[in-house]
Amino acid sequence: MISKNVAVVEALNVKKTYMLGKVPVEALRGVNFRVNQGDFVSILGPSGSGKSTMLNLIGALDKPTSGTLFIDGVDIGRLNDNQLSDLRRRIGFVFQFFNLIPRLTARDNVELSMSIADMGKSERRKRALELLETVGLKERINHKPAELSGGQQQRVAIARALANNPKFLLLDEPTGNVDSKTASEVLALIQNLNKEHNVSIIMVTHDEKLARQAKRTVKMFDGEINSDVVN
Amino acid sequence: MKSIDVFGYSFNAIKLRKLRSALTTLGVIVGIAAIVALLSITQGLQTTITSELNQGLSANTLIVRPSSGNDIGGGFGQGISGTGFSLYSNYTTEINSLSPDIESSVAVMSRSGYIQTENLKQSATIYGIDFNQYAQVYPTFKAETGYIPTDPLENQAVVGTRINQPGQNGTIFFDAGNIINIAWVNATVLPPVDESYTAVVAGVLEKVGGFGSNGPSDTGVYIPIETAQSFFGTDQCDMIIVTLKDSDNATVTSVSKAITDHFSNQVSVTSPTAMIDMLSSVFDTLQLFLVGIAAISLLVAGIGIMNIMFVSLIERTREIGILKSLGMKSRSVLSIFLAESAIIGLIGAVAGIGLGYGLAAIVAQVISSGVFGGGGGALAITPLLTPTVIAGALAFGIGISVIFALYPAWRASKLKPVDALRYE
Repeated sequence: MISKNVAVVEALNVKKTYMLGKVPVEALRGVNFRVNQGDFVSILGPSGSGKSTMLNLIGALDKPTSGTLFIDGVDIGRLNDNQLSDLRRRIGFVFQFFNLIPRLTARDNVELSMSIADMGKSERRKRALELLETVGLKERINHKPAELSGGQQQRVAIARALANNPKFLLLDEPTGNVDSKTASEVLALIQNLNKEHNVSIIMVTHDEKLARQAKRTVKMFDGEINSDVVN
Repeated sequence: MKSIDVFGYSFNAIKLRKLRSALTTLGVIVGIAAIVALLSITQGLQTTITSELNQGLSANTLIVRPSSGNDIGGGFGQGISGTGFSLYSNYTTEINSLSPDIESSVAVMSRSGYIQTENLKQSATIYGIDFNQYAQVYPTFKAETGYIPTDPLENQAVVGTRINQPGQNGTIFFDAGNIINIAWVNATVLPPVDESYTAVVAGVLEKVGGFGSNGPSDTGVYIPIETAQSFFGTDQCDMIIVTLKDSDNATVTSVSKAITDHFSNQVSVTSPTAMIDMLSSVFDTLQLFLVGIAAISLLVAGIGIMNIMFVSLIERTREIGILKSLGMKSRSVLSIFLAESAIIGLIGAVAGIGLGYGLAAIVAQVISSGVFGGGGGALAITPLLTPTVIAGALAFGIGISVIFALYPAWRASKLKPVDALRYE
């Protein structure tokens, strides 16, 4: 059910080659792929399949070696450092290890991404509170990451990713570091965000069971896309 | 990112590493405190000395002495002339006629001697002067007790405040109206003889201060010049003080030249203004030298800051990766690091200024209380903290901190998010 919607991500023959010492490693060997507004796509693959490289490119953390990658309609290969930073503010990146700033409270962590985007103090305080309420952490706003469980940290990370009204959420192994009960809660939250709030979701994982929960699964192997199926 | 948020974030990072930040700041504090302490002491000293000199010397006067190769004219002339040339008291008339810019001139004789009463023998410099003229040249020649006779009897004398009260501690050995013996050792005859006469103290001068080198002195005994001529057995004087109608540089220069020319370069003419100027420049050099040494400690502090910033950079590589992945621009990362060191610099400078001034006050107290040299308040220094010094110390403290943080901050800003995030 590929809709004729606006594409939030579009990859055209994207290749990425790393230099591992003096040996070039082809992490992506020409990937074609499209994610539309409102989609919930999982990118599935074993380690070494190129999915982490894919994740970094979609997160605008890196540029392709060749090919064209449009994110929110912009060819990231043509962007400079500053423009890439601006683009990242429109991407809700949720890291595998949450990557919260340890010395900041849950609320300040959520506020941080808004303060980076130049939002005023009172506005971002209010929004941080709303977001933490949405992810069910209203009671934990003044706790630091070390005082939160893995699942709670994951939710703070999701709230932070949503703060700047991103074009899509990009999740890296969202359930990789939480127990199975929490994992299903987090998944329910993600599905709810997609269904109720029409947030586009791209989820990178090696967990086949989790991947099938998305609307669509893209399987990667050895730097190429093997299959792209609607679940 | 807004500047206020940059500073907020940086301040938060500093708070987390309290001990380390405190130690880094301490480096700046010590450097700034050293500079501020040295500056406020030397400036205070300079102000004290120049103001005392200004009191003792009138700006519109010239001092004429027999040339002895010592142009600065420090110390009291002893009537010894390097060239065999002698000044005589009656040269004042000649000098007066040299230039219309000359108001008047007064001859001064001086000898080392002592005074004696029943229970005090006190060394002193004995000056032979014309009381009226001298008082006109030097406003500080003013009696605190008694009076300065306008038409003095030959046995009348005026003394400085350290003559009748040597300790300056309230113990007064004699006062106006009392009788003292004035004495000097006449070494012009062999064997030297003690010569003395009995004088009546007409007045005691107000306190002048420690540096009245050519003007009235707290350790001076003043007698009429006619008495001095017969007492010292000569008409030679040691200096002639010339008062000018104007104290501007041109007048000072032209009259000085007229006088030296008239005496065929056998006299030296000193202007107090020139002397103060020279002293000031000596102080400026001294200050520069001392501050230069103190600045080295600030340089060391700067290197400390650089070191700590590099440690911070390594520790926070992952954090920088997170910030960049959230869309923070490189220049905001740079600002965060610079803001951190600017905050350290600011705190260090403020604390350093306080500490430095405190140190200066203690040192000044120690000097003034006469621990060194037993001057007993001869040199009362008030440490001087000028707005320039405060502004300079702030700018220097923050400046050094920021400059040394530039390179680590730049390195931080250039980190690639992908690499930084992978860093453990």
